[in-house]
Amino acid sequence: MRKVFLFALLCLAGLLASCGGRNVLYIYNWGDYISPEVVKKFEKEFNCRVALDFFDSNESMYAKLKAGGGGYDLIVPSTYMTDMMYDQKMLRELDRSRLPNLKYIDPDYLSKVRDSEMKYSVPYLVSFTGIGYNKKKVRNFEPSWRMFERDDIRGRCVLLNDPRQAIGAALITLGFDPNTRNPAEISRAADLVIRWRKNIAKFDVDEAKRSLISGEFWLIQTYSGDMLQALDENENIEFVFPKEGYIFTADTFVIPSDASNVDLAYAFINFMHRPEIAAENMKFVKYRCPNTEALKLLPEELKNRPSINPSKAQWDAARPTLDLGVDTRLYNAAWDRIKSGGD
Amino acid sequence: MKDHYLTKRSFFPKFVTWATIVFFYIPLLVVAVNSFNRSKGGGVWKGFTLQWYQQLFSDSRIWEALRNTLVIASIATVAATVLGTLCAFALHRYRNRLQKTHYMLVYLPLIVPDILRGISMLLLFVLLFAWVNPLLRQTLGIRMNLGITTIIIAHITFCLSYVAMVVLGRLQDFDFSLYEAALDLGANKFQAFFKVVVPAIMPGILAGALLSFTLSLDDYGITFFVAGKGSLTLPIYIYGSMKHGNPAVINALSVILLIVTFLTVYVVQKLLEDKK
Repeated sequence: MRKVFLFALLCLAGLLASCGGRNVLYIYNWGDYISPEVVKKFEKEFNCRVALDFFDSNESMYAKLKAGGGGYDLIVPSTYMTDMMYDQKMLRELDRSRLPNLKYIDPDYLSKVRDSEMKYSVPYLVSFTGIGYNKKKVRNFEPSWRMFERDDIRGRCVLLNDPRQAIGAALITLGFDPNTRNPAEISRAADLVIRWRKNIAKFDVDEAKRSLISGEFWLIQTYSGDMLQALDENENIEFVFPKEGYIFTADTFVIPSDASNVDLAYAFINFMHRPEIAAENMKFVKYRCPNTEALKLLPEELKNRPSINPSKAQWDAARPTLDLGVDTRLYNAAWDRIKSGGD
Repeated sequence: MKDHYLTKRSFFPKFVTWATIVFFYIPLLVVAVNSFNRSKGGGVWKGFTLQWYQQLFSDSRIWEALRNTLVIASIATVAATVLGTLCAFALHRYRNRLQKTHYMLVYLPLIVPDILRGISMLLLFVLLFAWVNPLLRQTLGIRMNLGITTIIIAHITFCLSYVAMVVLGRLQDFDFSLYEAALDLGANKFQAFFKVVVPAIMPGILAGALLSFTLSLDDYGITFFVAGKGSLTLPIYIYGSMKHGNPAVINALSVILLIVTFLTVYVVQKLLEDKK
């Protein structure tokens, strides 16, 4: 009996103990957000194994890491979360000399974000929030956020279920900064969203793009990469940049301060910004990688898409969403007012 | 005229039948049809294809996730069933002042939200590791981490409550004079428990086990927090794919899981029939 007990204990210890052996890089990323072929190439070249884990929102990833879960070598949060994590000393400062391929990073992109010197983060992919619509169903289309007030598409349009995106679009329409901390501006934007709310079918995130493809909805606020994927399914769909301006978001590579395999994490970031690798990955995910050399290597049909390769003017009209710290509650309060009917 | 009451047509059974078909089986059918749909999002029919199945079989990560999920569910089910049954027996059989508190402690996990239990389990594990790891490193040279084992422990804790509640219901119908009779006839406590009580409450135990298995199989809220690096489970994979992912591959996987489930149920029923 004692022998059996001891054996069971040993088995348990074996299960609990982290297994050594081959070099493993642990990455925490969004699901389906990297080309599996590219990962295989990295594994082969660096003779290691890449273990991918997935999260479904910045907030849940943050909650898990903050509580002590994790131990990842590389994480891919969005910029506003990256800045917040850096302020809370959760990220390692990067050694630029180990990342020679950062010379390809688009300076226009860097001029728009807080970490413009890539001190603690390296951009991975960029997406724009614009309007996706069905060319066959919507008459007299205008590239404007004001489309959401149009009577003739009442009940056929959808806004994103995200306070910063929906209120942000209204702020831009009114000519304000989408990162404003001015309560009066936020309040006026909320009034505008309430007006839109009476015209739209609902606030939604993931299902709306499927309903746009099937023809149930005609016009939605949406992310650029999703629309490029949707185009393969319904050729009547088009993505446009509203003329008033729009928000862009970026996901970034960061190395958390408790990472154990820092060397391999550096190698991975540098590898992902090799122009031919970045181009191959873009062909899979269909989001813009801000790597100037890689963008030149894309096939024509992708290169000509404004959401992959926006013109100078289009890029200038894009604004980032920044972490507002405690002032985020201004947006949450406005959002509550919008959701509760706006009275 | 006596049969008139039985043959009278009622609207209600028909309604229930159709409601069951519409809400239980049509969604499964939609998933099955879409797994052969060339369209990725599944909104419109774009023609027949097997490419999602091909993609599924070439993606080793999905299979790794499936293997982890099944290992976790199997171990958690066995452990939770044994512990839950013993727990129900103790709750039912023994009386003392703290029994109400014990009952509440077992019952409480059923009503606490997943996310709360997930976070609190994670905090507990992190605290535990901070104490135990220095000791383990000195003595055995190993280190404990979040991973499959912590997921299994977390799953056992919530499955245990379900098993205990189901078995408790069964025990309340059990006539304990049979147990006492066995003791009178010379059985010891263990023999009486295993030879008299357990066979009588077996349906409850099996129902509890089945419940545990399904709950463990599709748990996301708790697993997300207690999972360590490199211990991917299927629900985490699927939720992670919601934003950028490809639901069509998951449809294909669902169809395969459905076929396996139906076959298992069919074989089990056949075996039971032969026994009779």
